Amino acid sequence: MTASHHTQLPHPSPPEDLDTLAGEYVLGTLTGAQRRALEQRMVHDRALQQAVDKWHTRLLPLNQLTDPVTPSAPLWARIDASVQALQPAAPAIAKAIPTTAPAAHNPASAPRISLKNWWSNLNLWRGLAGSGFAMAAVLAAVLVTRVAPQATTPQYMVVLVAPQDKAPGWVIQASASARREISLIPLGVAEVPADKALEFWTKADGWNGPVSLGLVKPGQSLQIALDKLPPLQPNQLFELTLEPPTGSPIGKPTGPIQFIGRAVKVI
Amino acid sequence: MEPSPLHAEPEHPGHFDYEAALAACAAGDRVAFRRLYEQEAPRLLGVALRIVRQRALAEDIVHDACVSVWTRAASFDASRGSARGWIYSVVRNLALNTVRNESRHVAVDEETTQALEAEMSMQAYQETTDTFELHASMGRLQQCLEALDPARRSCVLHAYLEGCSHSEIAERLGAPLGTVKSWIQRSLSSLRECMA
Repeated sequence: MTASHHTQLPHPSPPEDLDTLAGEYVLGTLTGAQRRALEQRMVHDRALQQAVDKWHTRLLPLNQLTDPVTPSAPLWARIDASVQALQPAAPAIAKAIPTTAPAAHNPASAPRISLKNWWSNLNLWRGLAGSGFAMAAVLAAVLVTRVAPQATTPQYMVVLVAPQDKAPGWVIQASASARREISLIPLGVAEVPADKALEFWTKADGWNGPVSLGLVKPGQSLQIALDKLPPLQPNQLFELTLEPPTGSPIGKPTGPIQFIGRAVKVI
Repeated sequence: MEPSPLHAEPEHPGHFDYEAALAACAAGDRVAFRRLYEQEAPRLLGVALRIVRQRALAEDIVHDACVSVWTRAASFDASRGSARGWIYSVVRNLALNTVRNESRHVAVDEETTQALEAEMSMQAYQETTDTFELHASMGRLQQCLEALDPARRSCVLHAYLEGCSHSEIAERLGAPLGTVKSWIQRSLSSLRECMA
């Protein structure tokens, strides 16, 4: 952005620049990269967050200039289904897997406890998954059907989403095999700068720090045996961070989080 | 375009309590959620559609936004702005992130780029005869926008309402990119001062 302040106005102070940046964000003229950078910064920068809030309020009346458009009839049904899928009575993934993997379909063995687990995990997911969640859950269910129709039913499912826009980027499924293998499945090709690599990490509650699961190539599926780690726990954190090409030099994440998600028990 | 009869409605329809609707959503009240949808979904879809310009995509955005409003209703903080404003910011952010992220991929595909540009210039042509119409329900913002030069006002409206990037605005107004950028910065300064 060219910061041409050749006006006579005595306003080159940082607060105004911050406010202009916030204004451009709300106006929508920042690039995708600038938007993501600002959203990341806003998490810690209260002044910036307040400036953004103010611009949202100032410009809100402009929406009155746009004519309403009647949504198609199925839109509410879709939203309602997505919201219901988030309720304890009808968990989307837990439900989708048995019906799409007939070998594992055994309604009698579906205990209520698992539904409770699902729900308690979901609460933790709420803050994390936000907007992209419904789509991600459906994608995950579809993917499991497509990728491993014959495999043992996965014990855990993780949807890794981009921290800013919550767009789902990867799905992890963990089976109950002896090697405790997990599969990392891309939902698209993540963009990684040429001089960087994606490193895969996990951390369960009570661990001192994240443990590296190695480097990951964008767009490639990966199988990793976790038999050297403690068994997977509900809510265990998985993330992909941007690191130097040979991985983090210090054995802990050093770069920004690209995708993040927590393990949810599905059966 | 004929002004819609809805333009006669006040900006904040007094009979709908958005804060209460969000509180009910946070408490798991799906009937309240449905009422909120019926109240606001048409306008939200209009806003999203104007930015992403594809009906199916716009409905996807309203879907994701509504699910997001439901799941995040408890985190709504009234000290940061109105409930209605928060709902619009959710939709606008999703729509803007979509068009900003897409444009990078689209640039690779020449055919799509050409089609988009053709569509854009057609729209620009149509809009030169159909200038943005402000109306009184916008309150102070209307007066402040009217105080701006028409070209600067157009920059703000193309950006906010149509999700145009700097270069798209430059193209539509037939103005150099640098000029558009400084117009926008100065418009923001003027609006901030005018609305203080």
